Amino acid sequence: MNSSKKVVLVGHFGVGKSSLMRRFVQNTFSDNYIVTIGVHILKKEIKVEKTNLTLIIWDIEGKDDITTIRSSYLLGTSGFVYVIDPTRPQTYDRFNEGLEFLKTTYPKAQIVAVANKSDLINVDEFKTLLESKNIAIDFFASAKEGIEIENLFQTIGAKMI
Amino acid sequence: MTDSEKFIKLKELLLNEDRDFAQNILQKLDSLEDTVNTHEKLSEKVNPIIDKKLDTFVEGIPDKLGPVIAEALIKSQDKVVEALFPIMGKMIKKYIQQEMKILSDKINNQLQNTFSLKAIKRKFKSIFSGVSENEIILSELNNIKAEQVFLIEKGSGLIIASVSKEESVDEDMIAGMLTAIKSFVEDAFKKDEQSLELIQYELFDIHIQNFTTYYFAVVISGGLDAAFKNKLEDKLFNIASNIKTDSIDKEQIIIKLKQFIENE
Repeated sequence: MNSSKKVVLVGHFGVGKSSLMRRFVQNTFSDNYIVTIGVHILKKEIKVEKTNLTLIIWDIEGKDDITTIRSSYLLGTSGFVYVIDPTRPQTYDRFNEGLEFLKTTYPKAQIVAVANKSDLINVDEFKTLLESKNIAIDFFASAKEGIEIENLFQTIGAKMI
Repeated sequence: MTDSEKFIKLKELLLNEDRDFAQNILQKLDSLEDTVNTHEKLSEKVNPIIDKKLDTFVEGIPDKLGPVIAEALIKSQDKVVEALFPIMGKMIKKYIQQEMKILSDKINNQLQNTFSLKAIKRKFKSIFSGVSENEIILSELNNIKAEQVFLIEKGSGLIIASVSKEESVDEDMIAGMLTAIKSFVEDAFKKDEQSLELIQYELFDIHIQNFTTYYFAVVISGGLDAAFKNKLEDKLFNIASNIKTDSIDKEQIIIKLKQFIENE
């Protein structure tokens, strides 16, 4: 069976949304930070059980407040990848508000929460910090090192089917 | 052993090493002389160095010479134009003359058949469609063609079906990007419930026809005019009337779209 799903990467500026997408689709990484203007779309086919699933991934420009993202970019989304940068608290201070916004506005969409740049932190210490703030993150990934990238997209793929 | 024999022995012991060293240098010099004087041997040694230098030079041309050439061209713009104008002018003039001749022949041909069945049909078409007869004649000459048709889900930008006269680049990406552009324009210039209906680029037009949950994007070559647009909209309405949004039959839609693109 073949299927296509729209996946949107959301999060603050500079959390590494484009890097995650490039690492997953093209298996490349660059240290040069290029701001995404508007939207950048790439696709990749994955296999989830017996389904050939084509992920149409929308990498949209970062927003400090994800409730202000153009709603037209988010319409018809089957899965969100909500990305934070553990080295910058302002990217996850209001994480739960953002998550609640996605859940209530797009109730049918699946969500995975990802802390990118995990190569720059002590993951255990960060997990403790997140627990104290009542923030649930699904994956501690690194686009630079290629950690957990396949796993997170495979997970969102499985959730969407 | 006499003193003189001892002296010879001592000399041998002391100078043997120097002699060997000198002999070694002589051999190396001979080898070097041979390499320098023999063309093949010299080429073998020097060519890789020259090739490497040439490669570096060629790689550096855009960076090093590009700006210099650009600057030189800007400074002597008038001279460049003066030199190219006669050649380009002649070419353009010849091309336009040729195209005008073809157009003139076609119009004459159409006008000579004033009372033909086609001309009468055209008159009726003009009366009923409200499009002037001149425009219809020009559209008949213009050879307008639908090159690609996409049926795209609104919002998600996922492709439902597409057909193309020629092999096209990734349809999923086109559908996604078209939807993103459409969303952006409709958001940025939001005035009531208006939608993006046309994208133009050089010789192509993308006609967008919106429906509730999906939209058609038709890539047209040859310049979209009112008569063709009218016909196109009617055909797309016909196809849309057969689409049931709750259970979309992709294969059936593709057959319809193929018929549509082949008849255009």
